[in-house]
Amino acid sequence: MSDLYFGTDLFSEFDRLHQRMMNQVGSFPFSIRASGVGTFPQINIGATDDSIEIVAFAPGVEPSKLEVSIEKGLLTITGEREPVEPQESDEVRTYAQERFSGKFRRVVELPEGADPDKVEARYENGCLTISVGKRESSKPRAIAIQ
Amino acid sequence: MNDTTQLTEREQGAVTHDPRKGDARPVTVAPAVDIFEDSQGVTLWADLPGVTKDQLDVKVHDSSLTIEAQAVVPTPQELRLHYAEVRVPHFARTFTLAPDFDTSKIDASLKDGVLKLSIQRREEARPRRIEIKAG
Repeated sequence: MSDLYFGTDLFSEFDRLHQRMMNQVGSFPFSIRASGVGTFPQINIGATDDSIEIVAFAPGVEPSKLEVSIEKGLLTITGEREPVEPQESDEVRTYAQERFSGKFRRVVELPEGADPDKVEARYENGCLTISVGKRESSKPRAIAIQ
Repeated sequence: MNDTTQLTEREQGAVTHDPRKGDARPVTVAPAVDIFEDSQGVTLWADLPGVTKDQLDVKVHDSSLTIEAQAVVPTPQELRLHYAEVRVPHFARTFTLAPDFDTSKIDASLKDGVLKLSIQRREEARPRRIEIKAG
């Protein structure tokens, strides 16, 4: 192995440590409703001219236990992830339990132009992709010059 | 829809960029894992959201077990990223395996972005009761 350190590279270990620390002490503020880095599921948000794209990285969640709702410009993702239970036995030893389990809730503030009637959600490979359409009036348009 | 990883692209900051390694090796994050052991062997669960079977690589070399994976999230083209908690679409983590594990008997399955690895112990390394003869 060419690495100086055992395991994977040091920076990814720092990344993981950093996330766990953020979990404990809280992170710098984004929005009053955003809980920031280190929560489950992690969220990325992007936009195109026609839509707002939200990806929640929620591996191992039963699709039936996932719920997406929009109310007053707030998109809420709720759900529950069951812990993996090894067979009940006295001999089972646990060496690591880093994965999140239990109920979760994440709220995304949608921008003004979001259209709550045009929402699509898909769960695939552990990623929940939500696409929210934009209202006609908020789409970028070229203005004709007289 | 187009398969791009734009949504999880990371800007290479000065801190995370290691000039010794050049640009060939991507920055990776270590996936969160659960590890349990029973008398049969070890079971490992790893969170790999956005990873499909063909983007996952589990390797055993000598006594090290390496999990490498790449997340691909289908996103529309021309997506502008506004906010990102997941910045690196590459996962990697390595574990060392004690010689009592049978590396030829590793079962891997991937479902909904969660990898389950079952690593069996060698037959002779399993716990057994030793008969005590009376006499």
